[in-house]
Amino acid sequence: MLGPLFDAAVWTALAAAIVAACASVFFLRTRDFYYDSLALAASEIGLMLLAMGIVAGATAGRIAAGLWWTWDSRLTTALVGFLLYAPYLMLRRAVEEPTRRAASAAVVSIFAIFNVPLIALAVHWWLARRTATFSLAAGWMILPVALVGFGLGWVRLRQEQRRRAQDAERRISQEI
Amino acid sequence: MRYVRQIATIAMKDLRAELRTKEAINASLAFALMILLLFSYTFDPEQEMMRQVSGGLLWIVFAFAGTLTLNRSFARELPNDCLDALIAAPIPGSALFLGKCFASFVLVLAVELVSLPVFGIFYRVHWTEQFPMLFLVLLLGTWALTVIGTIFSALTVNIKLREVMLPMLIYPILMPALMAAMRLTTLLVTGQPIPEDDMAWLKMLIGFDVMFTAISLALVETVLVG
Repeated sequence: MLGPLFDAAVWTALAAAIVAACASVFFLRTRDFYYDSLALAASEIGLMLLAMGIVAGATAGRIAAGLWWTWDSRLTTALVGFLLYAPYLMLRRAVEEPTRRAASAAVVSIFAIFNVPLIALAVHWWLARRTATFSLAAGWMILPVALVGFGLGWVRLRQEQRRRAQDAERRISQEI
Repeated sequence: MRYVRQIATIAMKDLRAELRTKEAINASLAFALMILLLFSYTFDPEQEMMRQVSGGLLWIVFAFAGTLTLNRSFARELPNDCLDALIAAPIPGSALFLGKCFASFVLVLAVELVSLPVFGIFYRVHWTEQFPMLFLVLLLGTWALTVIGTIFSALTVNIKLREVMLPMLIYPILMPALMAAMRLTTLLVTGQPIPEDDMAWLKMLIGFDVMFTAISLALVETVLVG
């Protein structure tokens, strides 16, 4: 149960990262803030799924081997992926000006997505001495997890859009 | 040709400013020697285990000391609005970026070349026996560090939490390059050439450098102008 949950969460998070990177490229091309909201929503959902996956994977290891963390290459890759995308949200909080914030965040997202395959490969090589499992399999759990992930992403996107619309109206009414 | 001269002008300007004030290189060097010393309290320097972790230790020192230099790369242009002047200068953004990159590269490499013999003396690793190959790994690893460090230095230059954000952003991205450099350095300081199995790490390091230099050059205008 927990092993397949880890697989499904990580694969859905990867899909979210790809969506975020594509949305970032579209934002830099069109400067349409809809794509910025999409990238933000996808990154947040991806990070949430990764956190959930890491907890599930560590718990599965605890049940199977009695150890929380055995430096399994997939679990470690998920952790590095989490550390890769967490600064994305921190950077967004640190930049005040909206256009600047969106452009900086888009650059980070593009750098991060190109790094994901390198990290997966490097971590696998590094830990291959201990664990030789490198499966690309994702079980049946992928279906519910992906559905929940995309559902939450859609809700988060709508909420972000509404928040921005409200902020814009508030600014206009203040100016009047 | 004009492009090369523009890069050289920016790089020489940065190096001259640094050599006159020595504000980043002194801090970086002192910091590197300090961590090298601190490691001797963590591990028994006499033991064989020291040689198995030496590559990792060395690159942790380089990455931390390098960040001090890279933080200054664009931050030094903030007083008197020098950064706005540089962006408005009649040179492409990529020339500005590459010039800054080369200047940081020279400074970080200088700190590394001072730390390496000190490391060899303190911990008795055989860094001279495979020096040409080790120097190649040093060049490739340092280029990875400076290219990522410089582009993110430009990205974070106007942020309040600049000193905190830069390491947070660059270390996860540098992870594949650092892992490759650590592994290769550990192998080379034993005095043996790189085994056939581990040549993949060298390819990873070269691939990382080529890929992220290209992405940085593609995105540099966005980073500088916003």
